[in-house]
Amino acid sequence: MTKAKNKSHFVGVRLTEEQKKALYTLQKTSDLSKTDILLRGLEILSEYYTLGLDQPPLNQELKKLEEEAIQHLHALKQIKRREDSVKHMIQELREVDEIIDDYDGEKSALIQILLKIQEKNHWLPKPALLWVSERLNIPMSQILHIATFYKSFSLEPKGENLVRVCLGTACHVRSGPKILEAAEQFLGIKAGETTPDMKFTLESVNCLGCCALGPVMMINNEYHGKLLPSQVPDILENYRVGEIAMTPEQQKLTPLAQRPTNPQQR
Amino acid sequence: MTTFTSGKDLEQYQKNLQKQRDTKKTCISICSGTGCHAYASEKVVSAFEDQLKKQNLTAMVDMKRTGCHGFCEKGPIVVIHPHNYCYVKVKPEDVSDIITSTIKQGKPVERLLYEDPETGKKIMLETDIPFYKNQTRLIFGNNRKIDPKSIDDYIALDGYKALTKTLTKMTPQQVLDEVKKANLRGRGGGGFPTGRKWETTKNATTEPKYVIVNCDEGDPGAYMDRSLMEGNPHSVIEGLIIGAYAIGAHEGFIYVRQEYPLAVENTENAIQQAEEYGLLGKNILGSGFDFTITVHRGAGAFVSGESSALMSAIEGKVGEPRPKYIHTAVSGVWNKPTCLNNVETWANVPFIINNGAQWFAGMGTPNSTGTKIFSLVGNVNNTGLVEVPMGITLREIIYNIGGGIPKGKHLKAVQTGGPSGGCIPEKYLDMPVDFDELYNIGSMMGSGGMIVMDEDTCMVDIARYFVNFLSSESCGKCIPCREGLRQMSRILNDISAGKALEEDIELLEELSEVVQMSALCALGQSAPNPVLSTLKYFHDEYEAHLHGECPAKVCKALIDYTIDPLKCKGCGLCIKSCPVEAITGGKKGAHTIDTDVCIKCGNCLDTCKFKAVQKTTGKHRENPKKLVTMEKR
Repeated sequence: MTKAKNKSHFVGVRLTEEQKKALYTLQKTSDLSKTDILLRGLEILSEYYTLGLDQPPLNQELKKLEEEAIQHLHALKQIKRREDSVKHMIQELREVDEIIDDYDGEKSALIQILLKIQEKNHWLPKPALLWVSERLNIPMSQILHIATFYKSFSLEPKGENLVRVCLGTACHVRSGPKILEAAEQFLGIKAGETTPDMKFTLESVNCLGCCALGPVMMINNEYHGKLLPSQVPDILENYRVGEIAMTPEQQKLTPLAQRPTNPQQR
Repeated sequence: MTTFTSGKDLEQYQKNLQKQRDTKKTCISICSGTGCHAYASEKVVSAFEDQLKKQNLTAMVDMKRTGCHGFCEKGPIVVIHPHNYCYVKVKPEDVSDIITSTIKQGKPVERLLYEDPETGKKIMLETDIPFYKNQTRLIFGNNRKIDPKSIDDYIALDGYKALTKTLTKMTPQQVLDEVKKANLRGRGGGGFPTGRKWETTKNATTEPKYVIVNCDEGDPGAYMDRSLMEGNPHSVIEGLIIGAYAIGAHEGFIYVRQEYPLAVENTENAIQQAEEYGLLGKNILGSGFDFTITVHRGAGAFVSGESSALMSAIEGKVGEPRPKYIHTAVSGVWNKPTCLNNVETWANVPFIINNGAQWFAGMGTPNSTGTKIFSLVGNVNNTGLVEVPMGITLREIIYNIGGGIPKGKHLKAVQTGGPSGGCIPEKYLDMPVDFDELYNIGSMMGSGGMIVMDEDTCMVDIARYFVNFLSSESCGKCIPCREGLRQMSRILNDISAGKALEEDIELLEELSEVVQMSALCALGQSAPNPVLSTLKYFHDEYEAHLHGECPAKVCKALIDYTIDPLKCKGCGLCIKSCPVEAITGGKKGAHTIDTDVCIKCGNCLDTCKFKAVQKTTGKHRENPKKLVTMEKR
């Protein structure tokens, strides 16, 4: 035991601590003799030299190969991701199909169909709109006319939390605009914009229909009434931290929001 | 599930229901309208459920989620029957007290009762609270008694009785005559006689005919249609079926704003229940009359509340109005005769049929009969929904029911009729409220929004607010509305920024008249009302803005925040609240505000405990350029 531990040289070669340990275990576990190990070592060494692995060009070649392998791996991952997103899209289109079938493919139900898609995804992805256009035989221009006319529709992905500040008359005379300002200042965005981290979308709306509580701010499905501007940051901070996160149903939908497809830009 | 095949079936069922209902059994009814919901009434409900279960009282006590009670200011509201104790602002923590005192011993919980702010007395019953006592609750009355999700609740309170009477004892012509005699006028804004509208559609020769409930309540500051549709959907459906019978329509639509998810849910649920009971569908109550209803959700466009726009939205198109050379009553949805009425109008119909036209016409004024629901909001003590007979004065509504203006401030104006209405100054407070009187002083009934404004409201800012609102909601189809409103908005923005000239106001007036005369639909035609009425009654405020002064100290460009060094105690609260670090000053010394840095958010004013922060106005006259507004965009 002590012999093996103290051994710092092996047939004249100086060993590092790790090599020492390896050698020790090798001797313990295998029935190879000292000479056998030495011969095997020499064999490997000679192979190393015959292959020319010590030469710089080959070394580079190896590195290159390694890099290529990594690249291929990335490409594979990307293909997998695309495959997933295509699968997702197909799934999504299936859902669109179901919605359309619910309305028996009636052309007059276009707005109701778009509302359902909007509800599911929180926005109107282009593939879905194209599919609606195809199925109902309504030109895309007409669908975009409707999608841009009505306020409920969005052609851009929205943030995880939808913050709506009411600027209806009742809220206006009870300083609703100050609430909006406070929210804008806290989030660092203007009304109608989404924070870069996709956490919040801020909107100003004309009436949430609970005028007795003015000024009102609605976050997702929660109403916050009789607000003071100074309360706004604390309330919003709670949502950023995620204490009051979205419902599981809403959470399921968030991956969609990350996909950058803006029908207007394409 | 019972399907009624004759009127007698339904009557029998009704009698059985009324017999079965134990009026002495304790029932906790909790308001689940949107207002109370926002105050977490759902948590109160689950607290009750938990406690009742724990104490093994579930069998002895009924629980009910009701529609909106209307007194949203004091929500969540809980009423305990049979004592009818009314508790306001109930929190989940209060539940155990209510159970020990009221439910077990029948005693009221004093601290939860409504306290009359004038006398300081506690009021036990909901009906004795001044807010309710001074109202006439006809259409809205059942809201607090029924669970909107239960058709039996509605039937037990004589629901669908008018429908039975209509289908078994009356001809369509008789129904129409009754509505005409009652002189019912459209509650959605215009005040067009409902009977005449029905008659036009009835007499139109094209088939099929359609009837529509307009619940696209987009007016900011109004939410009574929402509360009716959420709280008592069956009353609207009953009215619609009766109307369809009179007109000869077999298909109806209920157009509900998508922003009102609960209204959509309750309406769809009510339709399904009515179908199961055979009150909708084929051969209703064995009369041979067929009728179906479809719910159509609006996708959020203010202009879609206009009748022709709403109809094209139902067709699945963009909700833009069209010229009405031919009325929609003759050529509406898919160019077929279509009768569209507001939620409240339809809800009035069963009452007229049950009680007769004469009874109905006995309420209100000769030309405006019946009652009207107003949403009393803004700077008033008791905000909420109030139903009053037509012809009552504004003073009665605001002071007797609304309890006056908070913080002892003065009333400046009342805004009625939503963005299409006008601002009524204090001097008209004793004027009776009906369709014609309001129109005569430059406002209108509208759908019933009544926004009270105190002395801290700037009338120029209000006019600017409405014009900006309408300009963004204009569909852009006709030029007067699209361009006219845009220019008006620019002028008003200039006025409130202190950059306008005398002639700008003249131009504003001229533009208003042009838009009023030439716009395509009611949105554009009535858009200048807020401007014209404020110009008429509050001209001095416009003048003051021309001289760089905002009397109400609202318009940001014309005000400054300063700190009174005598009052400032140097506590440093304002320094912490300032988002732009505009306030400086050491401990215990008076602070100062750097007006160049200040963004006028008002945080310091709100946080100061010593009233040292003040708003000042004046000295803000920039050199105005001539007709800034008409320069190129």
